[in-house]
Amino acid sequence: MRLVSTYWLYRRLLFPPVGFTVKRRRLVSSTTLIALVMVPLILALLFMDGMMGGITDKYIMLQDGHIQIHTPKILFTGDEEVQKIDNRILKADYVTEGFGILYSQKNTVEVRIKGVDVSYFNSARLSQFTTEGGILERTGNLMPVMISSSSAKDLGVGLGDRLAVLIVPDMGEAAVRPLFTQVTTIFDSGYYQLDTGLIFMDIKDTIKLFPAASSARTELLVDSRDLDSIDEVLDSLSEKLSNPYRFSTWDAYNRSVYENFITSRQVILMVFLMIILVASVYVSSITGEIIQDDRQSIATLKAMGAGNPLIRRAYFHVSLSITVFGVAIGTGVGLLFGTRLSELMTFLSNSGLPGLQYYLLDFPLTVSWGDIGLVAFSMMVLSSITVLFALKRIGKISPLELLQQS
Amino acid sequence: MNSNQTIGAETDKALLVFKQVSKEYASGEKRLMILEGLDFSLQNGSSVAITGKSGSGKSTMLNLAGGLDIPTSGSVVFLGRNLAGMGDRELSAFRNRHIGFVFQSHILLDDFSALENVCIPSLIHGEPLPVVRDRASRLLSRVGLEDRINHFPQKLSGGERQRVAICRALINNPPLIIADEPTGSLDEEAASHIENLLMDMVREEGKTLLLVTHDMQFAKRCGSVYLLHNRNIEELS
Repeated sequence: MRLVSTYWLYRRLLFPPVGFTVKRRRLVSSTTLIALVMVPLILALLFMDGMMGGITDKYIMLQDGHIQIHTPKILFTGDEEVQKIDNRILKADYVTEGFGILYSQKNTVEVRIKGVDVSYFNSARLSQFTTEGGILERTGNLMPVMISSSSAKDLGVGLGDRLAVLIVPDMGEAAVRPLFTQVTTIFDSGYYQLDTGLIFMDIKDTIKLFPAASSARTELLVDSRDLDSIDEVLDSLSEKLSNPYRFSTWDAYNRSVYENFITSRQVILMVFLMIILVASVYVSSITGEIIQDDRQSIATLKAMGAGNPLIRRAYFHVSLSITVFGVAIGTGVGLLFGTRLSELMTFLSNSGLPGLQYYLLDFPLTVSWGDIGLVAFSMMVLSSITVLFALKRIGKISPLELLQQS
Repeated sequence: MNSNQTIGAETDKALLVFKQVSKEYASGEKRLMILEGLDFSLQNGSSVAITGKSGSGKSTMLNLAGGLDIPTSGSVVFLGRNLAGMGDRELSAFRNRHIGFVFQSHILLDDFSALENVCIPSLIHGEPLPVVRDRASRLLSRVGLEDRINHFPQKLSGGERQRVAICRALINNPPLIIADEPTGSLDEEAASHIENLLMDMVREEGKTLLLVTHDMQFAKRCGSVYLLHNRNIEELS
């Protein structure tokens, strides 16, 4: 009964007939404005999630893996061996890591030197960067080295050029000595912060350069679908590996990066909430404006026996519909533009906008439906609450006032 | 007027009874008494016209009768119930079911067609749209607006709008029709047409009519005519 008694009024308020241009324009402009608020929110959400996901993936794939087992012992000779322990693990790589300084005639760069086997670069890792030259291909007597395009630019070197490396010894008694390497590969992950301090060398060379036990470890990659159960994987590894090895995960290894992400995300969501609150107040003021303009109609309805609840319900549903339409359109347009975010970033980078080295220029589109739902839901809840204040005006409109005017 | 005697005869069979009704309005520090100790009753099926000078309280009396306003003192009793004792929701429902209003400026909703305007009181009551539309169409046909049912008020003449307003007043089949200067804003020809229509419809439908008008000719078509002056009411012979 209530729905029937409200629907006719709701429908007409939401869809004014042809000729009522002002009313139509106001509804369209209100919906558009809410959509315009939603578009940047959705874009920012996609950008934030995509960027965080992309950066995280690059750190995991190129620097730390999902799990590290700290031991100089080679635990697995092939991926099948580790998969027998837990089939959620995709790959195991024995790696060494140390630090050094690259010298060229032009410049010096401090780097993290990662010693890996060529098999380290499987398809998942290769998808994280672009390369020039054969990966760590030994062409002469010099040690092959794989440096990033940003380091190559800073040092002023290219493929085939020689580069001096000063190793920072990982054992107290070792002597500091420079050695010559040859640039065989130049990579570009698209994330300057990671690229600028990372080089890869052949593990056969780095084992000699960094002989300390603490420089070696085994890196494990876990299936991306099982990232939430990394603790369970750790448990099964500790259970099945005979020795009590020390384990760590990528987030523990990059605690500060990880915590920065979490904090940034929370701050951004708070900012979103503030923007949504402002948009909700706008919805409320639009509703107030509609009520003010419809004062005569509301008074007439009251004279004909429409109670405050009926009229309020109709106007409430109108404002809710405007919000829902605006949110739906804004989300759709935001998602549509979101698919072009990487192109936009590349365009901005090419146009010489400063500060882009802190962003990924190419990152996967990560749609967090939960967060989008949260933003949309918050918008609807907050605007529904603020609209209640505007609806109070309906109670103050008296049919008597109208009749006295007439 | 003797306050113990209620104008309009037997109060126990009355549709509407004013008992010692006073109404005053405050304007800043000043208080303006419009009606004072007014007794009046309206019998079911009767037609009564109220006349009087501008500012004599005619519209105030109609507002009180229609539950749009409450008296400062005294009571307005409709079918045995004191309107002042009803809450907002109850009063709205009461107006919807028991009173049909026809105002001077017809007050139709601009963004609803003639047919939809007529439907509104029944839709407020919660009746299904197809049933209401059918009834409204028949009413509009009776007043000669069958070709104009989908027209919006701004496309209708003053007389046509008033005919729509009369249909709207009758759609819920209320026992009482309150008409406040229904011909006041019309030209002579249209006014005459609306007069005839209102009187015919009220008679055919067996309604009680409470009419306020300046036009004595129109007033005389009612069963009784009352004059409001000096904040009270008296029947004209």
